[in-house]
Amino acid sequence: MDSYKRNELIAGLAMLGAGIAYLVLTMNLPRRGTIDAAFVPWVLAVALCLLGALQLWVWRKLPDKSAEPVEKPEAIDYPTVIKSMALVLLYTALMEPLGFVITTVLYLYAQFIVLTPADEKVKHLRYALIAVVSAVLIFYIFRHGFDLLLPVGLLDF
Amino acid sequence: MIELMQTGFAAVLTPYAFLIITLGVVVGIIFGAIPGLSATMAIALFLPLTYSMGPGTGLALLVALFVGATSGGLISAILLNIPGTPASIATTFDGWPLMKQGHGVKALGIGVVFSFLGTIFSIAALMFIAPILAELALSFGPHEYFSIAIFSLTLIATLSTGSLVKGLFAGALGFAFSTVGIAPVEAIRRFTFDLPSLNGGFAMLTVMIGMFAVAEVLKFAESARLSHRAKPQHVSMKGVKGFGFSMKEFVGQLPNATRSSLIGLGIGILPGIGAGTSNIVSYIVAKKRSKTPEEFGKGKIDGVVASETANNAGIGGAMIPLLTLGIPGDTTTAVMLGGFMIHGIQPGPLLFISQAPLVYTIFAALILASVLMLVLEFYGLRMFIKLLAVPKHILLPIILVLCVVGAFGLNSRIFDVWAVLLFGLLGYGFVKAGLPIAPFIIGFILGPMAETNLRRGLMLSDGNFGGFLTNPISAGFLILAAASISWHLVTVIRNRKSAAIELMRS
Repeated sequence: MDSYKRNELIAGLAMLGAGIAYLVLTMNLPRRGTIDAAFVPWVLAVALCLLGALQLWVWRKLPDKSAEPVEKPEAIDYPTVIKSMALVLLYTALMEPLGFVITTVLYLYAQFIVLTPADEKVKHLRYALIAVVSAVLIFYIFRHGFDLLLPVGLLDF
Repeated sequence: MIELMQTGFAAVLTPYAFLIITLGVVVGIIFGAIPGLSATMAIALFLPLTYSMGPGTGLALLVALFVGATSGGLISAILLNIPGTPASIATTFDGWPLMKQGHGVKALGIGVVFSFLGTIFSIAALMFIAPILAELALSFGPHEYFSIAIFSLTLIATLSTGSLVKGLFAGALGFAFSTVGIAPVEAIRRFTFDLPSLNGGFAMLTVMIGMFAVAEVLKFAESARLSHRAKPQHVSMKGVKGFGFSMKEFVGQLPNATRSSLIGLGIGILPGIGAGTSNIVSYIVAKKRSKTPEEFGKGKIDGVVASETANNAGIGGAMIPLLTLGIPGDTTTAVMLGGFMIHGIQPGPLLFISQAPLVYTIFAALILASVLMLVLEFYGLRMFIKLLAVPKHILLPIILVLCVVGAFGLNSRIFDVWAVLLFGLLGYGFVKAGLPIAPFIIGFILGPMAETNLRRGLMLSDGNFGGFLTNPISAGFLILAAASISWHLVTVIRNRKSAAIELMRS
């Protein structure tokens, strides 16, 4: 199976899965007649399931090998994607206990390193400096300029 | 009207508002010029800044970002041969050859000037059409609004992608996400999992910041370590008079510009497609109507004019359904709608009566932003070129932090930041599955409008669905919605036949 066909299968399964999940949730809604608060969710749930099934049906009809010569797929660097996701999750989870400035500095510094192109050097000092300046600047602009109460956490200043 | 226009200009010509609009145009141009950043992202990120501004200034900032970002794409299209936004794809066709031939300044000058003319044309059309349409829309009831919402939703789902199934699925899923929270009419809680934070549903802004900005950062991570930085070409501005092209060239382009403006405006008004489509359509039409079509793609200024006039003419076009009906025509105006709502303003026909000065402030801001764009984009070119060189592995993480700040600022709670991450992951999943994001967003926004009006309409007609078909305007939109799906199905089936024939031959 070529990668395009595999992707279409995964997409179809995910679509049908989302449809079924929504259907199950909708079934648990209380009913008070034909036209009630559950009516639109029912229509949507059925539509989502049908469209998911249709996508799988279309997938079955796809030729095993694409008729057109497949362009060489661009290499996708999943480790970097996963590292970035993990960093963003950590960033959000730690923001309230540690405070905006500390977590932002740590997040930015780490994320800069993770995303640095392989043929460029990691410039630790410059990254750290940019991280500190951006975090403090954003904090001050929003806290004092726009009255946005970003979490202060450990640095209560 | 003249009086209202004066009020509008008085509001945007205060030093504070002027400064804000200038800032908006400059930031907009930067977001437009840097590939991967877009007008939608610029507006979504700057929404939090408008919280503490008045509605007039806040909305002026958003339209300034819109104008700047739509035009800014031409800078990287011409200098790097990479369209800064999808709205400038066709600009690369002739802009880059012109650049290579040493006519970079001319290409940029023409692009900027015709961007300006396209914008001004569309603002004039907006100011003329919108009040008339608003008056007509005043008589609309729930039946009409339901059908218009369904029509817009099907149109965006069918037009935004190659796959009808995926487009419709994305729209329906967006609609499904909008059903989270307290239901309209009966006010029972739906899909809240007993979390009080979910009672109000997902905030529109968290959906958009997640889908557009966070998903973009994750997408960038896919190739970040393998990327090589594109170096913008050097452009010499020495000895450049005016905007770098002659009066004769300008006059020669006027018929082309008029045609392209009309194409851009028309496509901009339609829900679902906007500048991303109109620049290509306009380029193709210009090439077909040209006496020398063979010169297109080799550095003909007509190509740059067609693309840049059309994409900016979509600005006024997209604002028409937004202001008069409260229906966003594309993702950029969808975020703009979010901006209106944050300030407690519901766009729609009543806006022209209850908030007429505000409407004209928006018009005035659009005009002022276009003029500033004309001057700043050309004469500030050096600064924008420098900014193109800022590495994206530095820029995107900072943008992500701003997303987080924006989400947090909605209600000062971490819950919204988690919601942004959820939608960021969902958006990334959409990219991976080849699902279009625009129908999801429009489904999310128009969903509540469709549902509320369906319920109200049914109450008015005693639970009878016939009311939606006996009302002529409502029936008309529903027929159009059905027609757009059938038309799409027919083209798909026809293509499949021809594809099968091709296969048989080979």
